[in-house]
Amino acid sequence: MEYIVQTQNLSKSFGKEQAVSNLNLQIRKGEIYGFLGPNGAGKTTTIRMLLGLMKPSSGTIKIFEKNITKDRIQILAKIGSLVENPSYYPHLTAYENLEALRKILGVSKTRIDEVLEIVRLKEVAHKKVKGFSLGMKQRLGIAASLLHSPELLILDEPTNGLDPSGIIEIRNLIKRLPEEYGMTIIISSHLLSEIDQMATQVGIVSKGKLIFQDSIEAMRRFAQPKVTFKVNNGEKGWRFLLANGIKADYQNGVIFLEECSDEKVAHIVQVLVQEGISVFRVEEEKRSLEDIFLQMTMGEQGK
Amino acid sequence: MIALLQAEWFKLRKSKMVPIILAGPMIGLFIGLSANLEDNMQGIEINEWYISLFSMNLTYALLFLPLISGVFTSIICRYEHQSGGWKQLLALPVTRGKVFVAKYILIMLLVLAMQILYLGSIFAVGIVKGYTDSFPMEIVWKSIVGGWVATLPLVALQLWLSIMFKSFAAPFAVNVIFTLPSILAVNSERIGPYYPWAQPFSMMYIGGNTDDVFFVPWEQVLTVVGGGFILFFLGGYYYFQRKSI
Ligand SMILES: Nc1ncnc2c1ncn2[C@@H]1O[C@H](COP(=O)(O)OP(=O)(O)O)[C@@H](O)[C@H]1O
Ligand SMILES: [Mg+2]
Repeated sequence: MEYIVQTQNLSKSFGKEQAVSNLNLQIRKGEIYGFLGPNGAGKTTTIRMLLGLMKPSSGTIKIFEKNITKDRIQILAKIGSLVENPSYYPHLTAYENLEALRKILGVSKTRIDEVLEIVRLKEVAHKKVKGFSLGMKQRLGIAASLLHSPELLILDEPTNGLDPSGIIEIRNLIKRLPEEYGMTIIISSHLLSEIDQMATQVGIVSKGKLIFQDSIEAMRRFAQPKVTFKVNNGEKGWRFLLANGIKADYQNGVIFLEECSDEKVAHIVQVLVQEGISVFRVEEEKRSLEDIFLQMTMGEQGK
Repeated sequence: MIALLQAEWFKLRKSKMVPIILAGPMIGLFIGLSANLEDNMQGIEINEWYISLFSMNLTYALLFLPLISGVFTSIICRYEHQSGGWKQLLALPVTRGKVFVAKYILIMLLVLAMQILYLGSIFAVGIVKGYTDSFPMEIVWKSIVGGWVATLPLVALQLWLSIMFKSFAAPFAVNVIFTLPSILAVNSERIGPYYPWAQPFSMMYIGGNTDDVFFVPWEQVLTVVGGGFILFFLGGYYYFQRKSI
């Protein structure tokens, strides 16, 4: 299988702190890879290493099947990136910012207008960037990353600080890119909700470790519903269930089970009624991906 | 490399540096015009141009040339530090080595431009004062080019420091700390020739030995200026290669 990005035991430590440990990323062509993890999980550090801005403490990085330490220039020629907070030259206008990059990338000047159009910054093209809102700077950063029509786009929290409409706008833009230009995209975020509608693959990091890497569908399969029982005396009912060999949980006056077949629900209701407990409601609670994400990262943090 | 130089020049020229280039030559002009050494020199056989050169060079070469070259390096790095410029620039298909060299070349060209403007100031002073003696072209060029060569190591060190420190003030403070003692160093025959920050003055000082290419002996140019350049340039170059962005 051909991977656009492949890391092997990629690790980085700052002093004693292990910011990234033994990361094995595998990203295929045409994917939108959602790189998820809470703040401080090591996403930016990983991206910095992918771009050769920082040297790994150990491990290897292959991009386009080439080694980043050996063929850095050739690799970077095909990557567009936006790392952490938007980068820009405050003393230049939006247009001039792109012009300074264009001179190095050697693409045509018309490309500047094109990318400004894509991110809808045409009207403010000749205004100094220092007066821009965070969202505008963010969009300029995306424009800059698209300037040379890269094959791989790496966006580190591109929706950070954007309002909901800005987030939707960027989401729509990003969704278009793989289809229209055959780009592969890595997009990091600490909020699953921001990328669950566009990512095709998900990698979840927590405390520097990759704890999940698979398709978004595979992640959804984790989202099994849980069944809750509201009864007149929750604690008493829960004890009866345990006494009858049914492993249930009890919290805030509610009895609940993680996995529950129809037969099991019927059985539980029967037990409760036999013990003289009134059953008010039996409900199925679907868990969102966000819950799963939280649970996964919390679990890791609890260890 | 050409593309990189063009990009660097584009960013630099938009950062209001004209007043800074002009500052040194303007102050030289002002000093040249206001000094009245001619009166004290009555009766002494000397080319008139030398008289104003003595007074102009003193402040310009001793203070402004080293200090302003340092300001140039701070400016060329400032907009990279301000809002993530480094990470954007270095994630482009460029090598750090080339970025370092491009920035260095550009600053040296600015210093050269400043030296040429200073030459213009010398001319202007002579014309205003109505000097009739012939213009000592060869000697003045020696001084202008010599002063420029003497900044080679200083600019390399300043570039190193400007990349290292985010703040504008830190490299400037270091520059001031090293530049001020050269006022004392130039008066010392023992230390003067070996003190890198005193070299701009020594190499612009027209009273020096005129037999050599510059006003200071070749050995001194090669060891102090050349050696300083290699040390500071390589130091900065390798520091930048390994810096985490
Ligand atoms: N330059 C650095 N020096 C020291 N520690 C760092 C540095 N960069 C990041 N870290 C630490 O590494 C960890 C991961 O940070 P980061 O990669 O920025 O996380 P994320 O982008 O997922 O929020 C954090 O604990 C952070 O404090
Ligand atoms: Mg981050």
